Amino acid sequence: MLKKKKNVNYSKARAQYLKKQKINKFWIIFWQIAIFLIFIGVWQLFADLEIIDPFFFSSPSRIVSTIIDLASQNNLWIHIWTSLYETIIGFILATAIGFVIAVVLWWSEKLRKILEPYLIILNSLPKIALGPMIIFWVGSGTGATIVMCVLICVIITTISMLNAFISCDNDKILLMKSMHAKKYQIFFKLVLPNALPEFVSVLKINVGMSWVGTIMGEYLSSKAGLGYLINYGSQILKLDIVMASIVLLCILAAGMYFLVSPFEKRVKK
Amino acid sequence: MKNLLEFNNVSYFYQTKESEVNALDNVTFTVEEKSFSTLVGPSGCGKTTILSLTAGLLTPSSGSIILDGKPITKNDGRIGYMFQRDHLFEWRTIWQNIILGLEIQKKHKSAQKLELAENLLKKYDLYNFKNKKPRQLSGGMRQRVALIRTLVLEPALLLLDEPFSALDYQTRLKVCDDVYEIIKSEQKTALLVTHDISEALSMSDKIIILSKRPATVKENMIISFSGGTPLQKREDDNFGNYFEKIWRFLC
Repeated sequence: MLKKKKNVNYSKARAQYLKKQKINKFWIIFWQIAIFLIFIGVWQLFADLEIIDPFFFSSPSRIVSTIIDLASQNNLWIHIWTSLYETIIGFILATAIGFVIAVVLWWSEKLRKILEPYLIILNSLPKIALGPMIIFWVGSGTGATIVMCVLICVIITTISMLNAFISCDNDKILLMKSMHAKKYQIFFKLVLPNALPEFVSVLKINVGMSWVGTIMGEYLSSKAGLGYLINYGSQILKLDIVMASIVLLCILAAGMYFLVSPFEKRVKK
Repeated sequence: MKNLLEFNNVSYFYQTKESEVNALDNVTFTVEEKSFSTLVGPSGCGKTTILSLTAGLLTPSSGSIILDGKPITKNDGRIGYMFQRDHLFEWRTIWQNIILGLEIQKKHKSAQKLELAENLLKKYDLYNFKNKKPRQLSGGMRQRVALIRTLVLEPALLLLDEPFSALDYQTRLKVCDDVYEIIKSEQKTALLVTHDISEALSMSDKIIILSKRPATVKENMIISFSGGTPLQKREDDNFGNYFEKIWRFLC
């Protein structure tokens, strides 16, 4: 259906301003696409002219043909699906567990104070150091990867959400109390909606962090997944496979990020 | 006129890491039914503590606080509280903000309460904004919404904690008039806290002057103008005299 054109009478200055805005927007998108195309073009050109060694740096055409090869061998989908599955499960579990811990710590100030140093230590601990232990605890494969993913995201989720909860304006809490709100009402009607923008930020951070967890987990021990493919490619010196996996990772991570971003728009409304 | 609120020799101490602080020392005053009373005093003297005690958010160390013949209890349902800022929840519409207290007290399905909320919105020119978000309203309108949010709970006593201090001067004068008119036409009893003597004078029937901390009552001053709105009272011949008197007490 055709949109009805608005009948507008802009002043000359207004029309000029709007035109300038439109042109600015056009150039931003133009350069965003241009940088990508120039990068791909220069990479391919340098590889073709052997200014860079395609064995070490691959090239866009070699990456595309590697992806097609992997797809035709029916392996690609298994690797993509394994990584995607582990990341999504890890992402959901870490976000949910971190959120629940944050709620519990908001609820009990005493518990929060007791556990504060532990949270700080756990946050600064490089979780990859726990890798060997994770394999002992849950075995190798998908389970270990999901646990790694959860460990990486859960503490940062807890800390970010807890900070958002406790930074709620004290006067607003007092207002709720003056209306005789119970603690659960203060949480659900004030603290939680007030922390929604932070929750969306946490979702966006967790998209990136959960991919880090998945790839780390797959490096440690796995039989499938893009992390496995990167490891495998480097071991048999087929760096095209490594680069192809990285490109696929970029696409998947960006896809997940865009799935989360509608929440941000909704929260900002 | 009947006393609605009575403070009888109320003292209040609180503990800090450094020491015990005496915030109020034997404070005694009354607020009469349907009157507008104001607490003035140097900043930090304990005015807001008095409001928190009245609202039952704090418990006095000694003395008694009586509202309508009964002692104040924790989270007393007979009090309405209006803060320095409007504290409207940005994620709620104006209507949802107004029925916030009703929701908390599980009265939001009561037809009588909802009708009261609608009538107040209509009466004070906010009905057309009921589906808007707070950021779409001016500072003055937001304060009116905050007042209506308190009034729908039908409190016996309204506590106003410097509700105009966050507004610019012109808006402040206008909102003073609006709030005063609403409180008077709804026949509510109000206790205002302010450090602005002109504001106190233009709105009050009685001004309770407090000393610096620990607060004691220095003077209960009955204010009488020939009537009119707060803005008109500011032009009254006696306004300057009252102002000077209060100023001397505060110095």
